[in-house]
Amino acid sequence: MTPEEREELIDSLIDGEIDEADFLRIEAEMSVDPEVRALYYNRLKLDLLLQREARGGVDDSESGVAQVVAPAAAISPAAPVNILQRRLTGIFAVLAATVLGFVAWSVWNPDSIRLGSPAGLAGKLEPTAAGFAILHGQSDAVWEGDPLATGSLVPSGPLRLLSGVAQIELFSGVRMVIEGDAQFVVQSAMLVQLDRGRARAQVPEAARGFRVQTRHGDLIDLGTEFAIDAGDEAARVEVLTGEVELQGQGAAPQRVLEGDAWQLSDAGVSERSDSDSLQVIGPDAFERQLSSQQVDQRRRWQQRVASMREDDRLIAWYQTQQTSADGRQLPNLAQSDSQTAGAAAIVACQPSSDRWGQAGGALDLSRTGSRIRVDVPGEFGSLTMMCWVKIHSLDRLYNSLFLTDGHELQEPHWQIMNDGRLFFSVKKFDGAEGKRRRPDKYNFYSPPFWDASLSGQWIMLATTYDVQARRVSHYFNGAEIGSEAIPADYLVPRVTIGPASIGNWSEPMYRTDPQFVVRNLNGSLDEFVLYSSALSGSEIAELYRLGNPAR
Amino acid sequence: MQPELPHPPSDAEFVGLLTQSQLSLLLYVRSLMPGEADAGDVAQQANAKIWEKRADFALGTNFLAWSFAIARFEVLNYRKRQARDSRLTFSEDLEQTITSELQQIDDDLLSRQEALRKCLDGLKPESRTLLMDRYGTTESLSDFARRIGRSAGGLKVSLHRIRTTLADCIERRLVSGASQ
Repeated sequence: MTPEEREELIDSLIDGEIDEADFLRIEAEMSVDPEVRALYYNRLKLDLLLQREARGGVDDSESGVAQVVAPAAAISPAAPVNILQRRLTGIFAVLAATVLGFVAWSVWNPDSIRLGSPAGLAGKLEPTAAGFAILHGQSDAVWEGDPLATGSLVPSGPLRLLSGVAQIELFSGVRMVIEGDAQFVVQSAMLVQLDRGRARAQVPEAARGFRVQTRHGDLIDLGTEFAIDAGDEAARVEVLTGEVELQGQGAAPQRVLEGDAWQLSDAGVSERSDSDSLQVIGPDAFERQLSSQQVDQRRRWQQRVASMREDDRLIAWYQTQQTSADGRQLPNLAQSDSQTAGAAAIVACQPSSDRWGQAGGALDLSRTGSRIRVDVPGEFGSLTMMCWVKIHSLDRLYNSLFLTDGHELQEPHWQIMNDGRLFFSVKKFDGAEGKRRRPDKYNFYSPPFWDASLSGQWIMLATTYDVQARRVSHYFNGAEIGSEAIPADYLVPRVTIGPASIGNWSEPMYRTDPQFVVRNLNGSLDEFVLYSSALSGSEIAELYRLGNPAR
Repeated sequence: MQPELPHPPSDAEFVGLLTQSQLSLLLYVRSLMPGEADAGDVAQQANAKIWEKRADFALGTNFLAWSFAIARFEVLNYRKRQARDSRLTFSEDLEQTITSELQQIDDDLLSRQEALRKCLDGLKPESRTLLMDRYGTTESLSDFARRIGRSAGGLKVSLHRIRTTLADCIERRLVSGASQ
């Protein structure tokens, strides 16, 4: 039998479409050949995984049960066996349904003896990121190619800052301000290659030996702050405090002291004849400038918000810096005639810095139990949900953005999966009827957008539910990252919300039952907006542009 | 450290073990019941039975082997009930081999799933849609073929090709992922 034939027979077998003669053939092969069995197992795994993918993976509402399965399973031994069995069958139905999402992390726990834990596996599962520096701040920066987000890791490879100013913070502790037009490569936390442009660096003791490489030679720091201007003819250097060493090609190293101005050129290392100061802004001054710019930007954003508050489509606009006198409530800023949501209540959240860098302007939701409670009466057609969040990590299976209490018919749930996908669903069917064959809702997932490199960065997320166009679209930082048609069976023309939580989930029994699943967002939030309409992609891009502090 | 004597697990420990072995258990039951839509139900039955017998399990012994034995019994029970149907089943010997091999098999389903997602993205949209439609329903292959207006034979070939593409892609990704 050819390998191709084997595969075909195995597929027919798994499909339940094999005839008796072929069954006997493949069984004979499997009985004698471990490779054929291995192929069979792999095909079975593929089948299992494809089925999970096609059926929307993990069922949202039921996973909660899986997460509380331990207490739920610890039912009194006095319970009659048949009831126990019925309950357990339910629980295990859930387990089977949630197996990939919920079990995944616990199953592949490196401590698990059963797996024999291949050494590389733990490493593979540990989140990783790559880089030697982060982009600490920027002002009017124009990058060649894609723009770099403030707070993001500085990519490896050549970078060209066409204009504006950017400050990078290397993991060695070096703070470096670079002015455009500049071309540079962050080679390591201790080495920056500056092919062209001006920079100023502040080097802490811990990073002594930090080196800037130019086409005309190297600058080695000996504990200092210095400025450098790399040009075609020469690299001019100015030592502001401390001292540096210059290494020209073929020349002996030259120490340069505070206040001195030297240059590296093809002729070697020489004292500069010009007395012009390089006049590059230092890291401290640049940070002060950035922070005053942010204050201005924040004020401009507030002015824009004031003009957007009267939009008839607004249901709610909560800003976490706008609290009531006692600091426990967020007023609804929406002023449309149709708005019905009231003030939101802050539960167990801690103040944290907002996206404009203002202390206490945002709410940290990472403490277990934290949430912002709202009540949104009424019925809506389409919806837009938008928020600014800073996520530390996605360490729960479901990381809440906005969830109604429980998950009743017509209610939306908005959250992030632990693999970095945005998740949105509206419950269409009652779970009680025909739940064996038909999921009670359709889950709209975005492709994964979040990874560990985004940890601690402010980001804007939005999702639109468009009843007219029958579409759900997800947005990350103003750009659409996924859009999917709503299957006709799963269209919910009237959505209801009622009591709900921002950043957490309340099961229906939360008022009486102390057990709850941990689903709060491990991070901070500083703005949450709800529209009774699906905003267009350009409207969302504009909201991002106006509200983005890192410009 | 003094070795602990085997003792029955607490309910919480037991649920932990059971939760951890769900995928393997499902894979095992399906391997004994290829192509049977009821494999999921049998796996659930097995779960209920495993729970019922939890006091019999001693911590420190092989949970997977113990739970597979119960699951196998449930598969046999199911066959007895379905006797009229006379499905094709593997020989006793082959079933034993499968049982012992699946107890040893590396649980790499999580990385497989990640790889699968990326590989699905690389498929042609029509292949992807066909696959998702097929796996999103519980219809038999011939019913499904009829519904989408294709011949069962042609559909089988298409599905087989897509699966093989995916399987190759997954293996490639797993290999390159492991060497990172």
